[in-house]
Amino acid sequence: MQTYIIKRLLLAGITLLAVLTLIFFIVRIVPGDPARVVLGEQATMEAIEAMRARLGLDQPLWVQYARFLRGALSFDVGTSMVTGAPVLKVIGEVLPSTLELSAAAMVLGCILGIPLGIWSAVRRNRITDYVIRVASLLGLSFPAFVSAILLLLAFAISLRWFPVMSSGNSTTVADHLRQLALPAINLALIFAAYITRVSRSAMLEILREDYMRTAVAKGVPPLVVIWRHGVRNALIPVVTVTGLYLGILIGNSVLTEIVFNRPGLGKLIVGSLAQRDYTMLQGLMVVYTMIVVVVSLATDLAYGFIDPRIRYE
Amino acid sequence: MRKLVASLAFIGFVGLAVAPAAHAQKTVLTVGVATPDVGRLDPHVATSNADRGIVAGIFNGLTRFKPGQATFEGFEPDLAESWTSNDAKTEWVFKLRKGVQCHRDYGELTADDVVYSIQRAADPKRSGFSADLAPISSVEAVDRYTVKVTLKNPVPSLLGLVSNYTGGFVVCKKAAEEMGQAFARRPIGTGPFMFEEYKPQQFVKLVANKKYFRGEPKLEAVVYRYIPSDASRDLAFESGEIDMLFGKQDEPWLTRMRKLPGTVAFAIEPAELNWLNFNITVKPLDDVRVRRAMMLAIDRDGITKFRGSNANRVAVSVIPSSDYGAVDLKLPPVDIAKAKALLAEAGYPNGFTIKMIGSTNPTMATSVQMYQAGLSKIGVKLDVQPVDNPTFHVQIRKDLSPLVPYQAARFPIADAFLTQFYLSSSTVGTPTGVTNFSHCNAADKEIIAARSELDPARQKALWAEAQRKIFDAVCGAPIYESFVLWAHKDSLVLGYDLKGSMNLGPPILETTHFKK
Repeated sequence: MQTYIIKRLLLAGITLLAVLTLIFFIVRIVPGDPARVVLGEQATMEAIEAMRARLGLDQPLWVQYARFLRGALSFDVGTSMVTGAPVLKVIGEVLPSTLELSAAAMVLGCILGIPLGIWSAVRRNRITDYVIRVASLLGLSFPAFVSAILLLLAFAISLRWFPVMSSGNSTTVADHLRQLALPAINLALIFAAYITRVSRSAMLEILREDYMRTAVAKGVPPLVVIWRHGVRNALIPVVTVTGLYLGILIGNSVLTEIVFNRPGLGKLIVGSLAQRDYTMLQGLMVVYTMIVVVVSLATDLAYGFIDPRIRYE
Repeated sequence: MRKLVASLAFIGFVGLAVAPAAHAQKTVLTVGVATPDVGRLDPHVATSNADRGIVAGIFNGLTRFKPGQATFEGFEPDLAESWTSNDAKTEWVFKLRKGVQCHRDYGELTADDVVYSIQRAADPKRSGFSADLAPISSVEAVDRYTVKVTLKNPVPSLLGLVSNYTGGFVVCKKAAEEMGQAFARRPIGTGPFMFEEYKPQQFVKLVANKKYFRGEPKLEAVVYRYIPSDASRDLAFESGEIDMLFGKQDEPWLTRMRKLPGTVAFAIEPAELNWLNFNITVKPLDDVRVRRAMMLAIDRDGITKFRGSNANRVAVSVIPSSDYGAVDLKLPPVDIAKAKALLAEAGYPNGFTIKMIGSTNPTMATSVQMYQAGLSKIGVKLDVQPVDNPTFHVQIRKDLSPLVPYQAARFPIADAFLTQFYLSSSTVGTPTGVTNFSHCNAADKEIIAARSELDPARQKALWAEAQRKIFDAVCGAPIYESFVLWAHKDSLVLGYDLKGSMNLGPPILETTHFKK
């Protein structure tokens, strides 16, 4: 297992280097100029050139790349080209928000999606199954920003249960939960729809297995058959999808963050891209890649706990 | 960690935690702004509208625009209590108020701070507005409370250059030098509000400067919330979470907000001019008949009507009509027959296809679609290549588009707009280039002469002549002007009559407060 983890970490290092190199060159290929963003549309060419020199953008590309790599290796990704704030400090301030939202959405999504998927499989081709399948299809096809606005209209404007702005200085846990509730539900609905379909499909496979028939033939109560023999085996694809989806969830959270006015990585990426803030984008990619690598590793390791037959080589 | 654990358990508690917050007498104003985050709060590099609105509460100029107005006439004393100039208007002496305190105990503001600020704002390495201050040859502290500014030549707007707008803001020298780059994140000024706190992507909080020289502000704090989504900003206003907001810049928004109970919605100056620049050096636009034909094919009245006449008005000149020195050129109405005849005369009886770069910015994209519709009536096909807004701004400055749709307002004096958009030395792609996208050179003589003309009547005549010449050369087709739209709760008293604001948002002053 240790060897496996070391191998995976080495692979992660190579992945990180590749991503950093790609993002370094891609952001510079995209037309746009951080110096123009900083100085505004009335600035003269002289002022723009002076700012470019100050930001180091007048240096040859390879010099900028070498400087960037040197910084990245020493965990110093510099300061924002637009605001001048330290990149890691800014990311550190919004990262907990994204992780919190993603984790809450994931837990909610699993709580809702796994039982529904299993119930749907068990009740295959009956009315319950049809209702759950249609509901999950709706969840998957509903754009996140539309569901977000509808949630706000219903629960923040009409009922006044939750605030429109899901950020700010919450002084109590209750306040904090009120702020988190709607964005988490919004993301969780999509995730639950996805998990429902995966769980249903996995459970249908399991229900056809010989050992399931044997258990039923031996007179084991149906609920015990499903939970003890069925669900645990059906969980492996669900865990895989959940692990993969966490990366997507963080990326997809941008619309939710914007509509509910929550700080977060997604919102920071969009803002940095619009402002051509090269250093911020590079720092974000480092963090984002690290998250995906860690989650992917954790997912692989989780298989062993769910199914002891799995061995790491 | 505590928050994370709490969040994982939140579903069970959520039903218990939905009680609405209690209301108290308000002394905190919350403003919803339309950007995702703060940029820079250093006034000399604060270029976004949102940043400029915030720095206006933190800093002062030597002079200031009358609160609630965005017109060139009638500057008030701000940090300077009086000023004099020589007859040639090349030497100006400003007497400063005594006892003005910099925030956070950075000491009394003196002539040294003013000298430092003007030199800083004029330095291209430290300022985005250095070009505005280029006419200043020297600035010196005569004594602790007296500053002398010497100009290379007279300018029409020295009092404007040192006003509470862009390069005119005065920073506290000691703080700026001490903090360096960090000054943009912890600004120190002399204004009614002091910077208190910033939370990334959430808010900037200013608190009352109790030592403000005009008196202690009635509000305890102003919180600027970053809400980029138009819909969310509106909903936050409707739910009472914000008290004032930057609106979606279109007529339906204004109409809807005016119907909302307890709401004051308004359209303020300076109205931005929307026009289409023609690059007069490239074929087929190098023929004035082609440019005139295109101008005649675009229905400016129809477009303005479509956009809404409460939030927009028809353009009357090649510069915004509210600028000091603007004249009504009596622009000709749409005339398709005449446009077709001009095209035929120029050798394009069947029209032509021309490529242009367009922005995906919704307002600009809609305008371009309307230009397309008008031009198609005379056989001119606009082949628009849309790119995102930052890319658009870079590409048009590289002179890559023969047609450039643009929307802008500048310092409200004819010279500023004429210089940046129509003077040949401002042509894009040149070392001194700014935003002359059309390569216009039709009125250089008048624009330059007007700057040093001391007789106001003669100066205005020169500007009027410049506008006529630029229009006759058809460097661009002026279409419409759009106001800046805002709304606030009717419980908020701004403390002045709001007609306009150079920082494109209602100034928050020491007199601003909520009704009891």
